[in-house]
Amino acid sequence: MAGTTTILGLESSCDDTAAAVVRLKGDAAPEILSSIVAGQTALHADFGGVVPEIAARAHTEKLDHCVETALGEAGIALRDIDAIAVTAGPGLIGGVLAGVMCAKGLAAATAKPLIGVNHLAGHALTPRLTDGLGFPYLMLLVSGGHCQFLIVHGPQDFTRLGGTIDDAPGEAFDKTARLLGLPQPGGPAVEAEAARGDPKRFALPRPLLDRPGCDLSFSGLKTALLRARDAQVAEKGWLTVQDRADLCASFQAAVAEVLAEKSRRAIGAYIALSPSEPAFSVAGGVAANQAIRAALQTVAAEAGARFAAPPPGLCTDNAAMIAWAGLERFRLGDTDGMDLAARPRWPLDRASQPMLGGGKKGAKA
Amino acid sequence: MSSVPLALGFDTSAAHCAAVLLRGGAVLAHRFEELARGQAERLMPLLQEVLAEGGAEWGDLAVLGVGVGPGNFTGIRISVSAARGLALGLGIPAVGVSTLEAMALDASRSVLCSVDARRGMYYVQLFNSGRQSVPALCSFKDIPWPNPRAEVAVMGHNARELADVTGGPVLHPVHPLAEAIARRALRRMHNVTLQRPAPLYLRPADAAPPRQAPPAILP
Repeated sequence: MAGTTTILGLESSCDDTAAAVVRLKGDAAPEILSSIVAGQTALHADFGGVVPEIAARAHTEKLDHCVETALGEAGIALRDIDAIAVTAGPGLIGGVLAGVMCAKGLAAATAKPLIGVNHLAGHALTPRLTDGLGFPYLMLLVSGGHCQFLIVHGPQDFTRLGGTIDDAPGEAFDKTARLLGLPQPGGPAVEAEAARGDPKRFALPRPLLDRPGCDLSFSGLKTALLRARDAQVAEKGWLTVQDRADLCASFQAAVAEVLAEKSRRAIGAYIALSPSEPAFSVAGGVAANQAIRAALQTVAAEAGARFAAPPPGLCTDNAAMIAWAGLERFRLGDTDGMDLAARPRWPLDRASQPMLGGGKKGAKA
Repeated sequence: MSSVPLALGFDTSAAHCAAVLLRGGAVLAHRFEELARGQAERLMPLLQEVLAEGGAEWGDLAVLGVGVGPGNFTGIRISVSAARGLALGLGIPAVGVSTLEAMALDASRSVLCSVDARRGMYYVQLFNSGRQSVPALCSFKDIPWPNPRAEVAVMGHNARELADVTGGPVLHPVHPLAEAIARRALRRMHNVTLQRPAPLYLRPADAAPPRQAPPAILP
């Protein structure tokens, strides 16, 4: 496709306020002209997790600054942008609303098209931005709020092979950090501890490994970790630094093993479709964990599939992926009106039977 | 184009979408829609309708006025976020105006303005001929009345009940909310210390530290 397309992306669905500019020029590889991520870790530190109201307040007063910085670093003005893409869900609704309204304001003011992007599609399409993957490829989306295997057939065409029936692994990492007195977000803290620990010391369960299919569960693993911790505390009244490192290593090993085995099965189901260039990719915050990446890479290599993991900064929440997903939609001629709604829940695969959540809010996945 | 500046004022701080287009002192278009849900979907189309009715386009605007609360947190953020996006895109100032000062605008005498803060609480501010108190969240018994109370009129949420305390009159705002916001914005647009509009919550975020502390970790 000839011509140049430049998209501004905004992201505010959890605790990162982000803006980015992505450009696609002819048949060349897409370029991230800028990607600004303003985190809120310090704001939530006292509360042991992300507080939605605190997050929404921060997004409201940071987003326009992030946009200015992103434009500045890209060295372009708003008039050079072809369209404005924004996360319209799923996520913490207060933050999503702040992003959607800021984007609407920018779009109305500049008479540029507005594109509401599914945050999960942003993660799922990232390997096309970073590694130029062709459709269809297999995706493991694994973060603090989500865990699912998707076959990505097109920018808006996803088939879910399986997913978590309860918690997401990122949430389990955060909980582990809280139980062991480590800082939030738990992922990097637990990973750092695990590097010094013995993964075999505590026998933690591998939930659902004994059942066929690609569904996962992490709720029981959290409970098992709590029990293992409490057994140590009951024995001597405290934990040693080594106990903590061993608990982290054992926990991380359990998560990695479960994800690897379920990935093996998902790759099997995907390869059965005979893709011309089989590829397996991973994204989401948990994909930034090096031990988990290594385990998944091994599984892909064994199955003869190319493994594409975006760099950690593009696995965690960012706006470049939103700009890119918006760019893919824009090239299909697909844009939204000023009545674009922010959605707390928005499953990618709407054809499959809902497996998580329901009621008034609708299905989560 | 006329040299009289055009101002667009809007507010979603309660169960409504309200917008006014002003040219100087004249109202060109005014909309007020009661709306408990869907403000985020309705606001921008409403603003476009108000502009069209006034025969104006986005590029004609000299200033934006936006209601920053106090009121519904989500509603406030909907308007403030839109205003910040619009201001950046248009390259014009956006002026944040509180619900309380919008109510008091052009009042003929000292007035205590109140907004429903739910849970039996009030957001209040006293406007006393040019001087004003700091806006506050308080219960009925802690309302910071001036001395003597009888001097003061009251306006807004539960005004009748509050007037029973002072014996003073109940007043009504001189201007509809969005219009007052737009008027304030016109008066303040050249203020050199103008900040970007920010929500006026007056109530901290509902958040508590984790209940259970982790065990002692020893070397």
